[in-house]
Amino acid sequence: MLVAGIGLATFVLLLSFIGPLLWPVDPFALGPHSVLSRPSLAHPAGTDDLGRDSLARLISGGATTLTVAIPSAIIAFLAACFYGFAAALGPAWLDRLLMRLLDAILALPSLVVLIFFAALTRLDAAHLAALLGLVSAPSLARLIRNEALAQRERDFILAARQLGASPFYIARVHLLRVMAPILVVNATFLVGDTILALSALSFLGLGVQPPHTSWGGLLESGLTVAPLGAWWLIVPPGGMIFLAMLAASLTGRGLLARAGDRL
Amino acid sequence: MPPWARTALSRIATAALSLWILVTLTFFLAHLTPGGPAYAILGMRATPVGVNQVNMRLGLDVPLWMQYLTYLGHLCTLRLGYSFLLNQPVAHLIVMYAANTLLFTSLSIVVGTLAALAIGMVQGASWNRWPGRLIGAWQLATYATPSFFIAGMLVLVFASTLGWLPAGGITDAHMTEPGPLSYARHLVLPVATVSLIVAASLSRYFGQSVAEELERDYVRTARAKGLGLRDILRGEVARNALRPFITLLGLYLPALFAGSVVVETIFDFPGLGWLLWHAALQQDYPTLIGVVLLIGALTIVGNLAAELANAALDPRLRSRTLA
Amino acid sequence: MSPPLLRIDNLCVRTRDGGLLVDDVQLDLARGEMLSLVGESGSGKSLTAAAILRLLPRGLVATGRIAFEGADLLALDEASMRAMRGGRIGMVFQNPLSALNPTRTIGRQIADPARLHVGADARQAREMALQMLAEVGIPDPKARIDDYPHQFSGGMRQRVAIAMALVCHPKLLIADEPTTALDPIVAAQILELIGGLRRRHDMAVLFISHNLAVVRAHTDCVQVMYGGRTAERARADVFFAHPRHPYGRALLDAAPDLATVVAAPPGYALPALPGQPPDPLARPPGCAFAPRCPAVAPDCEVAVPPLRRLERSEVACLHPVATPAGPRVPAPEAPMSASTHSSRPSLLEVRDLVVRYDRSRTILDGLSFDLAAGECLGIVGESGSGKSTLGRAVLQMVAYQGRIALQGHDFATLRGRAFRDQRRRIQVVFQDPKESLNPRLSVLHSVAEAARLAQGLPRDASLAAARTLLERVRLGAALYDRLPEAISGGQAQRVAIARALAAKPALVVLDEPTSALDVSTQATLLNLLRSIGRAEGLAWLLISHDLAAIAYMADRIAVLRAGRIVELAPPATLVAQPHDPYTAALVAAATG
Repeated sequence: MLVAGIGLATFVLLLSFIGPLLWPVDPFALGPHSVLSRPSLAHPAGTDDLGRDSLARLISGGATTLTVAIPSAIIAFLAACFYGFAAALGPAWLDRLLMRLLDAILALPSLVVLIFFAALTRLDAAHLAALLGLVSAPSLARLIRNEALAQRERDFILAARQLGASPFYIARVHLLRVMAPILVVNATFLVGDTILALSALSFLGLGVQPPHTSWGGLLESGLTVAPLGAWWLIVPPGGMIFLAMLAASLTGRGLLARAGDRL
Repeated sequence: MPPWARTALSRIATAALSLWILVTLTFFLAHLTPGGPAYAILGMRATPVGVNQVNMRLGLDVPLWMQYLTYLGHLCTLRLGYSFLLNQPVAHLIVMYAANTLLFTSLSIVVGTLAALAIGMVQGASWNRWPGRLIGAWQLATYATPSFFIAGMLVLVFASTLGWLPAGGITDAHMTEPGPLSYARHLVLPVATVSLIVAASLSRYFGQSVAEELERDYVRTARAKGLGLRDILRGEVARNALRPFITLLGLYLPALFAGSVVVETIFDFPGLGWLLWHAALQQDYPTLIGVVLLIGALTIVGNLAAELANAALDPRLRSRTLA
Repeated sequence: MSPPLLRIDNLCVRTRDGGLLVDDVQLDLARGEMLSLVGESGSGKSLTAAAILRLLPRGLVATGRIAFEGADLLALDEASMRAMRGGRIGMVFQNPLSALNPTRTIGRQIADPARLHVGADARQAREMALQMLAEVGIPDPKARIDDYPHQFSGGMRQRVAIAMALVCHPKLLIADEPTTALDPIVAAQILELIGGLRRRHDMAVLFISHNLAVVRAHTDCVQVMYGGRTAERARADVFFAHPRHPYGRALLDAAPDLATVVAAPPGYALPALPGQPPDPLARPPGCAFAPRCPAVAPDCEVAVPPLRRLERSEVACLHPVATPAGPRVPAPEAPMSASTHSSRPSLLEVRDLVVRYDRSRTILDGLSFDLAAGECLGIVGESGSGKSTLGRAVLQMVAYQGRIALQGHDFATLRGRAFRDQRRRIQVVFQDPKESLNPRLSVLHSVAEAARLAQGLPRDASLAAARTLLERVRLGAALYDRLPEAISGGQAQRVAIARALAAKPALVVLDEPTSALDVSTQATLLNLLRSIGRAEGLAWLLISHDLAAIAYMADRIAVLRAGRIVELAPPATLVAQPHDPYTAALVAAATG
């Protein structure tokens, strides 16, 4: 599982970032003579309704999607760690406050929050990444807090406290070590979550803005011309999202299985 | 006070607190965005004069805390403002669209959950063997496929190519069919999309829960009493596996609403998600807040219902005396 | 002689890849008799029991012949096997709480076998359940039959589980460590109950236990298992008078016996067995016990000794023990220093200690006692008596009212660094060895981390300090780089002790330090603790439900009941003249 996951991830990453070198076609060049052409040697993935090369657009869409989704997963991970550990290790009142806040935030689907913000202000890539990260953090923050709280009551941590360890020391030396597998696994799952959320947002026309492309955006424009039977505009972007999600999920589960007996 | 009443009361209090935090959060988030609502309404090319006018009209020129109190007051009396996009009071609008969404999502939940329970039971009983693994692969594939891709493919096959079902909307353009039947036909594809996703993700949790229960000591006791696997699954395991599942169902609601936003948009189905999306595209600020609050409230109430149902299923919380 | 009720021949249990967990076991059990299958972890005793009902964990396969009332259980089809389970053979498990379904009433759970096996309808089944509840001694069965398992105490739950196993009046009861999770007094009552039911219903009992002392008074036969094989089997009187296998003998000697311990002279040390029980998948080629055997000879390591008759016993040993088990001969030890408690300076002072939970439930209700430097104070009491909470209060891990002072410094008056420094002088060793260590730190680094933390040593010095500490708990250097998952429970406990010693404590709280360990390794750990305490003048607060172990270790024993000390006296006084009725019951249960 782990091997399959890492293999898929490598494929997706290579296609998106090395792809432009292997297929140096301008994704924005209009082709009035080849509108909606089926896959051929000249256009391995066909062309869209403006005659642009679909493979080049798929590659460029992948680069955009991943350059937003991966940093936002990192932001989400760091935010969740900070929030979760603060709640678990801080005084009881802080924990209660942070968890109530989290309850309320978790009541809103992250996509709804994203739509809310996207409506209030148009987002560029950096803001999008930051926002996506913050919105994806809460459920992991809760998981980290619960896990840290459970670990904190384990005998060896009680014994460390008896030896004079401060909460910060316990977090650094014991909790991080014991929780490392679960943190790594969830960081991997986060990448899948952010790719999906970004794709959905782009699909709704509120994510990555034209002229930039993204998998979600490509899928959306593919579906609007779908009644014309242009399946090659739908299957590849959908397939890429599928592969990226599968890569994140398989890698995460593979890591989980490997760490299983140590958790 | 009996333990169950205390549990119920504390859960309700927590839910109310969450609701209040949500309302407050929404209010401040809306005011903290660059420019505030006035810019949102007028767009980025707003002039200062225009902004002032809008602020005055919206009552935004008074101090923030007074605005907040007014806002709370309006919420309590369900005065949610006026949608300039659709020219109706937001409260009206929401009731109309919420009816569609509630029908659509509850249908999807019912279909999806029933399927999830059946599939999860099979998976849990055969964990790590072939039926279980096959189901696991299906769950993973469904999880990795975005909902809009599933919806798109369904439209492509059943509406565009085969022409069996309408591609979107809720009524037939030509009005050739009687109302309810046409409405039902329009529901088929959206409900199928969401139930498929619900079934895949929830069956995984239930399957895992069943598999975990089957490992417990009391199952060994039941086997030592001479009960067969079927009896054990039905009589002993199902109820215990259901409890964590119900909690999860409550926690799953946000994801469900998020899914329905996308699906409603694709199928042009006039529900809350559709309204949210249009309000967002048109920057219809009062509608946006109204819908966001309603979705949050529905989630919190759903969570509360799940927790109460869960408590009702647990004799340790129901009991009169504690050992 | 009539054919036995249960006869097991050549029973083997294998893993999927051929690993032999139970190796060629024979067993005979006559109608109405009680046989005790005794052994430590990995001995194969529980697998043997599970194989009878064909309830082996998934992936394990049993071969051989298990004849019960003339039928070969291993050859039966699944439907006939289900009729056996709960109908002809009842089974009771170790943990009475987890063995019952938490969300079904006990009445329904007891009625299940009646509905399945004798075709009773709902009303008849309920009637049978009521009758059975009365028979196992549940007061007012009519009022309790619709209660849920959590509404019963541990002992009552085990009675419910027994009622469930016996509702169809089976001819064989398999009891897999049914008393291990219970307090000694309750455990004695459950044994009494099983004995009574056996006589009344002419029912045979296969009793699985890791503890010889528990079964001594009740059993007809003893079968000792080691490393997946039978080491010895005999009638109980024969076995207890003269155990022939060196392992059986060591097991009998290693468990501290209250009368022996109390009567022993000051220098007495428990006869301890070195080493660990073997991993059944990595047994030595010859006798599995050879590596730990005091009488090992070269031929022991060549081939597996067969089970052979020796007078009235059957024993799998080439060099059986010749001398009968007489009164134990105390092994001499270095004479103790002559100081008595009264002459020692006071170390810990506890006054009017009160601990409440949730403001309403009182767990400790006004305790007062003193502890002298170098003294070992034992705390006994049933579960729920507050003994663990007492340890945690002394460790400053829970909020309390009252005064706890170490060397005259009241913890309540200390703040910040002074508090932490003072608190560090009291260390702790917990019950569960696997939980006591960070699973991702190696043995050496685990102890070095403690040394760094407690003494502020730099890295190199802390590693050196850790080596010294590990030598003091007598752990070999071969283990230093292992992770906790790769060492045994007894070894993990020693690492935990080394970590505690790193802080140079004046007092160590030992919270059931041996109860999760195998019997044969308990004595080793107790002896180690005692010698460390003597050598370093350390004081111990030893919390345990095992009165014999406490009597062996402690200078004085405090008996805790419902949050109060009901008696506080030296072991000999306490055992000879218990003042409190509860103490008397404890002593009676421990004497058997």
